[in-house]
Amino acid sequence: MNLIDRYIHEVGRRLPRKNRSDIQAELRSLLTDTLEDRTRGEPTEEDIVALLKEFGPPQKVAASYAPEGQYLIGPTLYPLFRMVVGIALAAVLGAQLLAIGIGYIFDSTLIQPLEVLGGLFSSVPATFGSVVIAFAILQWFDVRPESKDEPWNPRSLPQIEDSREINRGERIFGIIAGSVLLALLLAFPDRIGIYTYPGGVFFANPIIAQYLGLISFSLLVSIALDIYLLWQGRWSTLSRLARIAANLLSMVVLYLLFQGHNAWLVERGASGFITSIERLADDPATNWQLIGMQAFRMAFGIALLVTVIETMVELYRMVKASLSSETSSRLAA
Amino acid sequence: MNEQEFTEINTNLTQELRRGILVLATLSQLKEAKYGYALISSLSERGLDIEQGTLYPLLRRLETQGLLQSAWDVEGSRPRRYYQISPAGERVLEALVADWRNLITVMEKLIGNQEGESHESH
Repeated sequence: MNLIDRYIHEVGRRLPRKNRSDIQAELRSLLTDTLEDRTRGEPTEEDIVALLKEFGPPQKVAASYAPEGQYLIGPTLYPLFRMVVGIALAAVLGAQLLAIGIGYIFDSTLIQPLEVLGGLFSSVPATFGSVVIAFAILQWFDVRPESKDEPWNPRSLPQIEDSREINRGERIFGIIAGSVLLALLLAFPDRIGIYTYPGGVFFANPIIAQYLGLISFSLLVSIALDIYLLWQGRWSTLSRLARIAANLLSMVVLYLLFQGHNAWLVERGASGFITSIERLADDPATNWQLIGMQAFRMAFGIALLVTVIETMVELYRMVKASLSSETSSRLAA
Repeated sequence: MNEQEFTEINTNLTQELRRGILVLATLSQLKEAKYGYALISSLSERGLDIEQGTLYPLLRRLETQGLLQSAWDVEGSRPRRYYQISPAGERVLEALVADWRNLITVMEKLIGNQEGESHESH
C-alpha cells in the first residue's frame, strides 16, 4: 500500500488546495476498488505498479482534475494584463525621462548614464511586479473582465496599419531641414553664436566650432539615410538598423555638445540658468554670453532627449515588425 | 507520412472522437447511483473501454456543471463516492440522445455516400 500512499501524495501536491483532500480520498477509493477487483485478495507490488502505470504519472492525473489549468494570470485576464503592463511601463519610462530632462534644464544636473540605467533597473521590475501582483489577486478571486454583450459587427474591424510604409512627408522635411542646417553650418561657421545686448557684440559659440566636423558628418548621414528611405518607400530591418545607428551617432554628437557647453559654463562658475539671470544686472555683457550658452546647452539637451525617445520608438517598431513578419511567415509556411 | 506518424495521428483522432461521446455514455449509465469503478466496469461490459484517468475527472466536472449529483457512502467496507444523474442532467441527456440519433443518420449518409463515390471512380 505504501506505493499507493506515495502516489496519492504526489498527485495531491499538484492539486488546488480547495478540493485536494476530496480528490485524494476518491482516488484512493478508486485505486483500491480496481486493485481488489483484479487481484481478489492480496495484491503484489507488481500489481500495484501496473495499476499506477495505467492511471498515469501524478502530474498528468492532477492536470486532468484541473482542465482549465492553474494560472498566476489566466488566459481570460492575460490580454488586459498585457495592456496594463504596457501602459504602466510607458508611464514609468516617460516619467523617468521627463525627470531627467527637467533635471538638466533647471539644475543642470549632468546625465549620468549609469544612474539612469540603475533607476530603470529598479523601476521597471517594480512596476511589472506590482501589476503582476494585482492581477494574481484578481485571478485568485476568479474575477473576469467584463465582456461586451453587444453583437459583434465585422464591418467595425480596424484597418490594418502597415508599419513598414514610410512616411514621405516626414522624410522630405528631414532632408530639407538637414540640408538647410548643413548649408548654414558650412557657409557661416563663424557666424553661429550669440549677439550680446546691450551693445550688439557678437560672440561666436566656441563649442559648435570645435565639433563642426562631427556635426556636419552626423547631419550628412541622416540626410543620406532619408534619401535612401524615400527611394525605397518601405522600411526593412536593415534600414531600421541603419536608422538606429544614425540616431546613436546623433546622440553621441548631441551629448558631446551638451557636455562641452556644460564644461564651458562650469569653468566660468555659471552652471545655473536662474543664477545668470540674477547676476545679469552686475555685468550685462558677460552674463548675456552665459545666458546664451545656457540656451544652447538647453537646446542640445532637449534635442538629445528627443533623439533618445525617437530611437526607443524605432527599436520598438523594429521588434514589432520582426515579430509580425515572423508570424505571417509562419502562417504562410 | 511514415508508419509511426500515421499511428500517432490515428490514435489522437480516435481519442478525440471518443471524447465527444463520453458525456453521453456516462450520463446514460448513471440513472442509478454508481461509484467510479462500477461505472467503468459497466461501460466496459457493454463494449466501451475508457481510460480511468479520463473518466474520473469527467465525473467531477459534470457534477460541477450540475448534471450529476454525488455523495460519499461511508457505510460499506470502505468509503466510496456514488454518482447519479440530476434532473438537469436528465434533460441534457434527452437532448444529447436526440442529437446523437440525428448524427448517426447524417454520418451514415455521409460515409455511405463517400464509399459509393469511391466505388464509382474505380
